[in-house]
Amino acid sequence: MHAIRTVLAVFLLGGFSGVASAAEVYASRLTSVAYDGAMRANVQGDGHVSAALNGSSLTVTGDFTALPSAASSVKLYSGPGIGVPGDAILDLQLSGQNQGSISGTVKLSSKQLTALRQGHVYVQLNSQKAPDGNLWGWLLPEHAFPGADVPEKGHGLLPQLDVPGNWTEKR
Amino acid sequence: MRHLGKYLTGAAFMIAGAWAATGLAQPAAAPFTARQAEAGRVAYAANCAACHQANLAGSGEQPALAGPQFMAAWGRRSTKEFYDDIRAEMPYGKAGSLDAATYQNITAFVMSANGAKPGNTAFDGNQAVRISAIATGQVPSAIANARRGGGDEGGGGAGRAPAMRLGRTLVGDIKNYTPVTDAMLVHPDPKDWLIYRGNYQAWSHSGLSQINANNVGQLQLKWSWAMNEGGENATGPTIHDGIMFLANTSNTVEAFDAKTGELLWQNRLGPLASRAYSALRSLAVYEDKVYINATDAKLYALDARTGKVVWESDIAPPGKGFNETGGLIVAHGKAIVGLTLCRGQMPHCYISAYDANTGKQVWKFTTIAAPGTPGGDTWANVPDDMRAGGETWIAGTYDPELNITYWGTAQSKPWMQASRRSGTASTLYANSTLALDADTGQLKWYFSHAPGETFDLDEVFERVLIDHGPQKTLMTIGKAGILWKLDRVTGKFLDAKQTVFQNVYNGIDMKTGRLSFRPDVLVQKTNTWISSCPSAAGGHDWPPTSYDQKNDLMIIPLDQSCNMMLGHDVAQHTGVVQPEGEEKVFFMPGTEGNMGRLAAYRTATMEPVWSFQQRSPFLTGVLSTDGNVSFVGDYDRVFRAVETTTGKTLWTVRLPTVVQGNPVAFAVDGKQYVAITTGLGGGSPFSKPSSMLGEVHHPDHGQAVYVFALPDKMN
Repeated sequence: MHAIRTVLAVFLLGGFSGVASAAEVYASRLTSVAYDGAMRANVQGDGHVSAALNGSSLTVTGDFTALPSAASSVKLYSGPGIGVPGDAILDLQLSGQNQGSISGTVKLSSKQLTALRQGHVYVQLNSQKAPDGNLWGWLLPEHAFPGADVPEKGHGLLPQLDVPGNWTEKR
Repeated sequence: MRHLGKYLTGAAFMIAGAWAATGLAQPAAAPFTARQAEAGRVAYAANCAACHQANLAGSGEQPALAGPQFMAAWGRRSTKEFYDDIRAEMPYGKAGSLDAATYQNITAFVMSANGAKPGNTAFDGNQAVRISAIATGQVPSAIANARRGGGDEGGGGAGRAPAMRLGRTLVGDIKNYTPVTDAMLVHPDPKDWLIYRGNYQAWSHSGLSQINANNVGQLQLKWSWAMNEGGENATGPTIHDGIMFLANTSNTVEAFDAKTGELLWQNRLGPLASRAYSALRSLAVYEDKVYINATDAKLYALDARTGKVVWESDIAPPGKGFNETGGLIVAHGKAIVGLTLCRGQMPHCYISAYDANTGKQVWKFTTIAAPGTPGGDTWANVPDDMRAGGETWIAGTYDPELNITYWGTAQSKPWMQASRRSGTASTLYANSTLALDADTGQLKWYFSHAPGETFDLDEVFERVLIDHGPQKTLMTIGKAGILWKLDRVTGKFLDAKQTVFQNVYNGIDMKTGRLSFRPDVLVQKTNTWISSCPSAAGGHDWPPTSYDQKNDLMIIPLDQSCNMMLGHDVAQHTGVVQPEGEEKVFFMPGTEGNMGRLAAYRTATMEPVWSFQQRSPFLTGVLSTDGNVSFVGDYDRVFRAVETTTGKTLWTVRLPTVVQGNPVAFAVDGKQYVAITTGLGGGSPFSKPSSMLGEVHHPDHGQAVYVFALPDKMN
């Protein structure tokens, strides 16, 4: 927990500019990609990933479970915003079928680093019945979730990384 | 239902003949039989037509299931995808409740209604045939000319109220009723709950403190009343002198002894409710009358003592599908109402006021600026008859000192800039705050919160009036989740705060309040998916905020989901009911899959004080009290009390179905009560969790009102 808070403090105070001396840690729960009723049955499942950035090297680990069909590929993607889908940029490795693990170490370009620090990079897991996306999750600074119904002081939001002026913070 | 039968009987069997008559090349035989299509016709009438219309043309947010709009949305997809979609999502509010054969039959009927030719092979849900290969979108005349059905105009459908006798089913004779005066409305007695949000300022706060943070854990049920089945329910009671007036569904108005739950009178005004667009969020009391703007856009004044109709007045041309859901306020002797479902037809939506004694219309303010009028040049040359939206589906507020009534307006329509062809033009007076003279309807000022808004992100919700010393402010929050503070005398922008994650705007000019869109939003095209966080469920939606003046805290129910939205090419002529687009939902990044958030903000500084998240979204407004307790209910059937200053949960109770509506507090004979309703339906805030929270279950019935109080003998 302390480490998480430290990392968060680095991000918040540093405004995500420059390269941190310690590893920057990102994480995401993997949830269903955008779906409608026709897709719903094929995009179920759950998962989690975390990613540690050392220099330009990003090491991703994670797991997934309860996919309706076997996982087929997992990749890093980058879009124009948090929650905005984009293109695949790098491959990761997976093991398992309806449940399994995710891993991989990739070298990020400066453009990809910027995208990561803006929250624009996400992990997408594809499967046989959902080849264009089964689960996804945007890599955001690892954060502690206090638990359902447990109040926390302040707004409790992750920083809006890509909005100038850090709009969510007290001015 | 009779109308559907009359117009659609045998329609499926007529399709082959219709093809022969057109002389067009016939597509391949479809993977369904004529018998399935006929069975599907019957099932469609019973389960779908209330929302999607007898002619499958759709209405409002209910998409067309036949014709060019349907083919644009589904032509490239398969029969199996369509079947999977309706099986997963439909009927609205009762997803998956039909058997597989019925979904297959409905699929067959919808395909046939789009010109598909039945074949010899029965559809079993597995045939994945591209819909454009078997259907053309040409709707057989027997279906196309079917009477506009469903809703309040006939036809059946999921959520439609069962048949019941209309009229005054219990005649009242309330003795010692005290007329409600203007002074009472300006300074409401804490024992009463006279106005939709508790006071003219929409604070949703009770000055009662008998129930407090120390004893709220001992709350117990005192009485309850099963409300009508069918229709949407998102109401809140009104209380005066120990009498509870309730806007039940199907435009039923009831009066109860608020202490015992004894029914005093009941008037079923009708029409009967369907699930779509039938939530009446409030009624109003003034002098010796109870006022209700019924879902068919008719305004009634009832005798508060007996329930008898004193007068009625048409708010909009009858029989055209205009609609009311937002409730109303009575201010300075006038009943003031909004208007919804003005799409695809004239006149435009408006806010209007009626003499409280006679029902005569006093003024009207049209919320769409016409060419040649002030603001008329903000629609990028969109012709007047194609300017739509600006609906007012939440009752306004009122400042008695300024004699100004404040209303929010909904987005312009169609939803997306690319569909409505208006670019980033501000499309006045959509998504604005309007300050209107309560006596004349004259526009004092407006503030456009989201010029060019494009994701169905309404800014229509409650306008909360808060004074900070000499400064008179207005605060409001819309679906984008931005909490706004304006000067309510001048309309000047004062401040804004983001309360949930959003990705639609990438900046704000803190001097003017002008938002700037994410760049890719500005180059959107029709028939292309584009992301929006929050989704059309908000951010913040209709469940209203509460303001606790002593702690200067605004407690806000927030909703966390995102969607991908696709805007259709919308026909540019009037008279077309125009489903605007499609959406796909997903969980909001950074929320761990939690759709619900409750948060408190200090309004003087806009400082966030506390918040918590949970899996299910909150579907009631918030009620705060002088006992440092706030009440709120959610999709997972939990009604809870939290400590206002910390957000700590102090008490919960699990009710039979979704807790939806507006909690209120009142007192009778010195004892404090808290009332809340359970309810179904309610648009995006209800449908999104229905689709996304597969592990959360609730019955598809059980609408009721519950009244809680402390035990007579405290522990």
